[in-house]
Amino acid sequence: MVDETRTLVEFARALRGQGLPAGTGATAEFCRAASLLEPTDLYWAGRATLVARREEIPTYDRVFREFFGAQLAPIPLPPPKPHVRLVTAGLDEGPEGDAGDASSPAVALASRVEILRRKSFDRCTREELDEIARLAAGFARALPRRHSRRRRPSTAGPLDLPRTLRRSLRTGGEPFDRRFRERRRAPRPLILLLDVSGSMADHSQALLVLAHSLRRIQPRTEVYCFGTRLTSATRALAVTDPDEALRRAAAQVVDWEGGTRIGESLKEFLDGTGHRGSARGAIVVVCSDGLDVGEPALLAEQMARLHRLAHRIVWLNPLKKDPAYEPLARGMEAALPYVDVFSSGHNLASLEEIALELSS
Amino acid sequence: MRFGSVDELEGALRDADYLPDRGLATSIFLALEMRRPLLLEGEAGVGKTEVAKTLARLLGADLIRLQCYEGIDASQALYEWDYARQLLYARALQAGELDVRAHASELYGPDFLVERPLLKAIRSGDRAVLLIDELDRADDEFEAFLLEILSDYTVTVPEIGTIAADEPPAVVVTSNRTRELHDALKRRCLYHWIEFPDLEREVEIIRLRAPEVPLRLARSVAEAVSRLRELDLVKPPGAAEAIDWARALALLGAEEAAGPDALQTLGWAVKNRDDLRAVEAAGLGG
Repeated sequence: MVDETRTLVEFARALRGQGLPAGTGATAEFCRAASLLEPTDLYWAGRATLVARREEIPTYDRVFREFFGAQLAPIPLPPPKPHVRLVTAGLDEGPEGDAGDASSPAVALASRVEILRRKSFDRCTREELDEIARLAAGFARALPRRHSRRRRPSTAGPLDLPRTLRRSLRTGGEPFDRRFRERRRAPRPLILLLDVSGSMADHSQALLVLAHSLRRIQPRTEVYCFGTRLTSATRALAVTDPDEALRRAAAQVVDWEGGTRIGESLKEFLDGTGHRGSARGAIVVVCSDGLDVGEPALLAEQMARLHRLAHRIVWLNPLKKDPAYEPLARGMEAALPYVDVFSSGHNLASLEEIALELSS
Repeated sequence: MRFGSVDELEGALRDADYLPDRGLATSIFLALEMRRPLLLEGEAGVGKTEVAKTLARLLGADLIRLQCYEGIDASQALYEWDYARQLLYARALQAGELDVRAHASELYGPDFLVERPLLKAIRSGDRAVLLIDELDRADDEFEAFLLEILSDYTVTVPEIGTIAADEPPAVVVTSNRTRELHDALKRRCLYHWIEFPDLEREVEIIRLRAPEVPLRLARSVAEAVSRLRELDLVKPPGAAEAIDWARALALLGAEEAAGPDALQTLGWAVKNRDDLRAVEAAGLGG
């Protein structure tokens, strides 16, 4: 029995080594489960107690087979379609903006904040971006909201019975002083889809810094990076230290340099969590120059899908800051009919304008 | 009621018209034996909710269902005071009452407590199966609030005290994965991902749930549905859709899921316009 327990614990440790969150509590549960079952069901004992996420099942299967042999593992289930594949890329080409041409003496007198608001993201240093991120709180608060089902005290609206009752105690149980409540207004979920291919990399990294600070105001901010395929950066951005968050996000993003398949990336997003709920009623911000190497028809189709789900679609294209810009790129042309706000979004001032336009 | 082994439970579920695969049966068995909540994830229509319903029937227990939605809070999930009644009662007492103290505690007594699903389940104990449906729709705060209840099976009402379950109810939590649930919550639950049933099991499921469907038609529907799942659909049909579709075809007197009957009833299996087009393009269902 002791030997058996030792084997089970070693198995759990092996899983931990492969990144599964098999802590001591879960391991104890696993041993208990195993003791309740026939040896032939050992596979399921572990599946129920040591696995907490669908993506972990293939790893579990592999370790299980290595540990107990294939005969104890039941018929392998078809591997789930990975929604997101995490690939560790080199970190060397990190998100360092080009320092140096930061500011000239001529503008040093003007308000520093004002300069920052107007400064194009791709010319900002990392420190400046941090400062912009702090300024961006106002941007997040200006975004449109929706009615929540929760209620809060107000001066008019339906009667707030709990509070009215409590007040009535002051007047001998007579509800003279009536209290009211109204629906709270909650921020809409914010979803950023960032193009990280070649020309867009600088802008997208700046927006990643912004996204990290926005998450503190709107916890339901999700960030995806795409180039030739889609990667979720949401989990990576959940850590509190911005540098660590960026490092992790950078490690997950598959292709900082490379072509762009916007249509396919959008489809991946919608097939994954987007259609099931996360895009519903959300403000979706796509940041891309629209230089798509994929099929424009696919892009149009996916944009239509997204348009039906999202509250508003914002497309940021830094090329648009040039007044002479025309959306001639095939991808941009295909996507544009479904875009609610089309803007350059290359600096904070432009983002603030967008927030205003969205709320109006 | 207790089950001696996974096989026994599997048999009982079958008798109650639910066909689990071995993994699901094992998870349910473990959840019952270890008194832990069972967290079920899977595509819509694979029978997550059905697990709780069947389990309630099997255990002879009440099914207490808490449908989650964004903004759900304690007053809708746990308990609420019946303020209107309290107010009326307090007013009725006014005339010449002296013993105020006794009545004050009466006001916050069980008479005025409105039970919501969670409190009801804790009070019913093992006479209930608690289904917390689509937890991913609720917000983070609510998940945190559930932690206490799911780990200790106790509820604290400040005015009354702590209410604990003598025997915890069986708890089934479902999620459609519109967002990832918190690890703290997952740690308290057993986890199972329900796959689409394989062909043979699907035929059996259709036959069990819709006995009026002839075997040949059931098989044909199951085959068609499994082909549909291979297409790249926004919403692949689940077992529930397969059953509905088979029923519809049987009503029309069709012998198999092909030809004009299948095309006209395809809406039972595929419920998205883009998907319908994709199916037509692939030349299926017609």
